[in-house]
Amino acid sequence: MKPALRLLLLALAAALALLVGVRVGAVPLSVGEVLDGVRGTGDAATVAIVRRLRLPRAVLAALVGGGLAASGATFQALLRNPLAEPYIMGVSGGAAVGAVLAIVLTGSLASGGIVALCAFAGALAAVLLVFRIASSVGRALDTRILLLAGVVVGAFFNACILLALTFADADAFRSAMFWIMGSLSGATWRSIGVLAAVFVPAILLLFALARSLDLLAVGEETAAALGTRVERTKLLAYGVASLLTAASVAVSGVIGFVGLVVPHVVRMLWGGGHRFLLPASVLLGAAFLVLADTLARTVAAPTELPVGVVTAFVGVPFFVYLLRRRQA
Amino acid sequence: MFSTWPRPTHPARAALLATAWLALGACAGEGRPAAGEAQADSVSVVDDGGRTVTLPRPARRVIALMPSATETLLALGVREGLVGRTDFDTGMGIDSLPSVGGGLDPSLETIVSLRPDLVVSWETSGPAPLGDRLRAMGIPVFAVKTEDTTDVFRTVASLGRLTGRGAAADSLARALRGELEAVRRSVAGQPRPSVFYMAWYDPPTTAGRGTFIAQLIDLAGGRSLFPEASALWPNVSLEEMVRRQPDFIVIPDAENGAARVRELRTTPGWRELRALREGRAVLLPAEVVNRPGPRIGEAARRLRDALHPAAAAP
Repeated sequence: MKPALRLLLLALAAALALLVGVRVGAVPLSVGEVLDGVRGTGDAATVAIVRRLRLPRAVLAALVGGGLAASGATFQALLRNPLAEPYIMGVSGGAAVGAVLAIVLTGSLASGGIVALCAFAGALAAVLLVFRIASSVGRALDTRILLLAGVVVGAFFNACILLALTFADADAFRSAMFWIMGSLSGATWRSIGVLAAVFVPAILLLFALARSLDLLAVGEETAAALGTRVERTKLLAYGVASLLTAASVAVSGVIGFVGLVVPHVVRMLWGGGHRFLLPASVLLGAAFLVLADTLARTVAAPTELPVGVVTAFVGVPFFVYLLRRRQA
Repeated sequence: MFSTWPRPTHPARAALLATAWLALGACAGEGRPAAGEAQADSVSVVDDGGRTVTLPRPARRVIALMPSATETLLALGVREGLVGRTDFDTGMGIDSLPSVGGGLDPSLETIVSLRPDLVVSWETSGPAPLGDRLRAMGIPVFAVKTEDTTDVFRTVASLGRLTGRGAAADSLARALRGELEAVRRSVAGQPRPSVFYMAWYDPPTTAGRGTFIAQLIDLAGGRSLFPEASALWPNVSLEEMVRRQPDFIVIPDAENGAARVRELRTTPGWRELRALREGRAVLLPAEVVNRPGPRIGEAARRLRDALHPAAAAP
């Protein structure tokens, strides 16, 4: 199968996932009712369910899933480490500190928007701190040092969260825990707009870096010898992937597993360089998270499962299957 | 109001304080009608987040997201007006209603599909994405925060106004006040045993003085083992508990409480507590003592019966 055909297939899968995400939910609706809801001609409750709850939620899931998968693929190439994932560099820890502080300190003044903004600020602070630490060691940016800096900064931020939660009252504690668990239930067209404003340029930039990432994944000397401006590539890839993760975490909290496994699945199924891997990861990540969130909403309806539970429960068996198949 | 509630050492002073509290409860019990009420049918009430909630007419399709509010609505006679429940609204005879999931993280689309004209939610001190989203879709949300007994009376009055059952709310409040006053009077002049209310055991967590539970224990003739703890649900030190030796330990878990007591009797620290060893652990059903709603009178009575068996009604 040609790469273009595979991408087309993945795009179809993502589109199908979006349709399923809008079609099913805790409330059983017929196809006709859903279509009426989309057109805005059904009764008010149905229109609200379809247009203001399901549609934005599915679209946000697609953006977050695609963004995390692209970010994970980038980190795996940049750090030359198969365990790398979007949150490995402390971005999630920084975002959580921002969000938890907003919740604990401002109390009832904290709207969802303020919490998202503080989470984003916290994530950026973590990115800058990690970069500052890593770049202060040696002359060139050593990705091993970068990884270590990310891990220790993440551990430090986790301790900060525990400290803040120890002194939080019951309400703030609950809000913070819900935030940390990650959820797409806060999806609004505004949060989608904010994320898309980061997502589109970030994804395009990463696509543009695809060839350099291929060479970087082989080794920095090889990449330099073949004409890649290694330092600039590392800096750009790190910055853009971090920013993308930060924006995703700010609107949805920490949703695990997507960013780690989706790029691996693409590699195992089709291998291939980053010019294929990155767009394929975006599409597969989008389809995967939309379906996972749909399951999370419906399996135990009306009770919603944390979406991270579903991504792991569905993703782990599939991943193990792929690993074993490759051995055989 | 209760942050400065002292440990009543003198019976007369205790009675005075309790009367003052009941009177204040009566004032707060009127609810807070918002200024500028419009038509005859429309109701406007300020919720515990300070938002004015205006309904064009008394609510007829209500979903309450906390068991205490659901119980209050049922006590006001709103049964036909309830269109949904949460997974935690158990033992109220409304199991046939569709559930919207958990009270803090319900399924939004299930709520919307039930077309409520009023949702009663918990007022959180953090961000309230749930309330914001429901309001954005045109569903009125009345957020309540019932921590102490004053809050209970205010919520009874507010929910009464919102559902057009002001008279029922008045008589419910009167009945509750009567029950509490009877309990208080029955233990007047009695010695006040110290009580550890075990909200949780690991880490040891109790009900702080701002909670209705601490107030009910006080009313029932007990005193808190940790009167100085100012948080609502403070974690307390096991060492300090051993040093202070509570006269009673109240465990809000009638189903598994006995097993818990057996376990704690062999747990380091806990086994030093004479109250556990000597059978002064009081097991009460959580749905009675943990819900700041219309059953606080019953909760006070049950606490009184445990702390002062002699004063219990025959």
